[in-house]
Amino acid sequence: MDINVAIVGYRMQSAPDLVTSRERLVFELTRGLFDDLGIERTDVDTTILDSNDFMDGRTISNVFIDPPAGVYMRDESKVEMDAANAVIYACMRILTGQYDTAMVVGIALTGSQASPYLYIEYTLNPTYERQVKLLNEVNAAAFQARSYIDRFGYSERLLDDIAALSLANAALNPNQARRISGITADKVAASAMYYEPLRELHCYPPTDGGCALLLASERKAKELTDKPVWIKGMGMSTETYYLGERKLYQSSSAAEAAQRAYELAGVKKPAQEIDVAEISALFAHQEPLLAEAMGLMGEGKAEQAYAAGETAIGGKLPINPSGGALGAHPVSVTGLMRVAEAARQLRGEAGDNQVKKAELAVVHGQDGVCAQQNAVLVLGI
Amino acid sequence: MEETRVVQGTWDISTFKFRIEGVGLRRMLDGMKEGKLVGTRCHKCGTVYLPGPFYCRKCHIEINEPTEVSDHGEIMTYTIGYADVRGNPLDEPRIAPVVKLDGCDSWIMGVLQGVKPEDVHVGMRVKVQWAEERTGSLQDMAYYVPE
Repeated sequence: MDINVAIVGYRMQSAPDLVTSRERLVFELTRGLFDDLGIERTDVDTTILDSNDFMDGRTISNVFIDPPAGVYMRDESKVEMDAANAVIYACMRILTGQYDTAMVVGIALTGSQASPYLYIEYTLNPTYERQVKLLNEVNAAAFQARSYIDRFGYSERLLDDIAALSLANAALNPNQARRISGITADKVAASAMYYEPLRELHCYPPTDGGCALLLASERKAKELTDKPVWIKGMGMSTETYYLGERKLYQSSSAAEAAQRAYELAGVKKPAQEIDVAEISALFAHQEPLLAEAMGLMGEGKAEQAYAAGETAIGGKLPINPSGGALGAHPVSVTGLMRVAEAARQLRGEAGDNQVKKAELAVVHGQDGVCAQQNAVLVLGI
Repeated sequence: MEETRVVQGTWDISTFKFRIEGVGLRRMLDGMKEGKLVGTRCHKCGTVYLPGPFYCRKCHIEINEPTEVSDHGEIMTYTIGYADVRGNPLDEPRIAPVVKLDGCDSWIMGVLQGVKPEDVHVGMRVKVQWAEERTGSLQDMAYYVPE
């Protein structure tokens, strides 16, 4: 890309219930971000807000959160998809050459003030699936999980191992909402069964959360921070809506989105070159499924990889050292939190979650039932 | 088209909660019980809001300074309504002015009584007619009347 764009600062928080209003969450994230960087709201050239009208309970919901984001007589537009897409959009605005700074702010109170499962029910086609009354987000994911483990002959125990690793990482991370001390695969296996093979702890927790991120052009980034994290590549891809028209054991759209991002970033062998991955896996099986699509794990190698600890914080290619979306999934903010968590790794600010050599990261966000839409970014220092 | 069908759909919006910042609204309602209008003033730029938000739109800082504003003001704009918000016809036309109260920067809407629709105009001076029995609710500020 001709203009270099960097992430220069971030703020995020999540909890089962943040005990706050939508407006205060936005205000505190952005005020905190401005204070971190020593800037004021007028230093932000353009803002992309990300929220979901249905989850927010108000249409055109950005109009309410513009002012607490500092958007008063300023330039703003909105993304109503996973906010990894909002980061791509914000980056593109800087690439136009018209803006030097672009802020992304995403919020969702899907832990305390709206049900995330209801939201997915309303994404379903009203003239078909809603009539059939057999599909919600979790049983759609269960179809995908069964298809995936059956394809490679994995045991259901793999799901417990994946979740236990994610949740152990989440327990170390103050940004996460679900922090269970002493989590083990056995404890995961003892959690409530939702839809076979998926249990409670294989699934994301209903979460309140928000994240604010500031992007800047190279010139401006150097004024604002001595630790810029560069956006090296980005790609998006969407597949067919109907589950019956997809091979559920794989994600061809995540593969294509990743390929686009890798091409821009000049990454030829992702499994060798990438140091750390932050993947929006909303359910345990999605982590290896998406990692395979993104070229980070060999097909059929998941059991082996998790058994060998390859994806752990100290492993060959750490995946979700933050704890990922099993630790927090504020609907539509999750991909943005993955971006912030990757930046946290690359800046060496990840504390107990820190990966040793973290110079090149890949980040993923998803939308729709069973990850119909995928967005991928490559970040580096 | 060879065949079209209508499928009945529903859109259940009964499950949302909105946690709000209560201070500004509480301050206003407590004041109204006493027949006073209390907003919040930005300690930096001096802007007075009613009801008071917890932050200043312009300065992007937290604010929390109570400030009393007058119950007299000026009509900034108005409309005469012939239907309620859902479009149901009203028995009598309803005058709804937006008023800038003296000492307040934000404008506040309400209903105007005691004047014929054809006599309402922008710039007209009005005052709040308080409810006889005030309970600390938005209904305490019953309606506006000409000053």
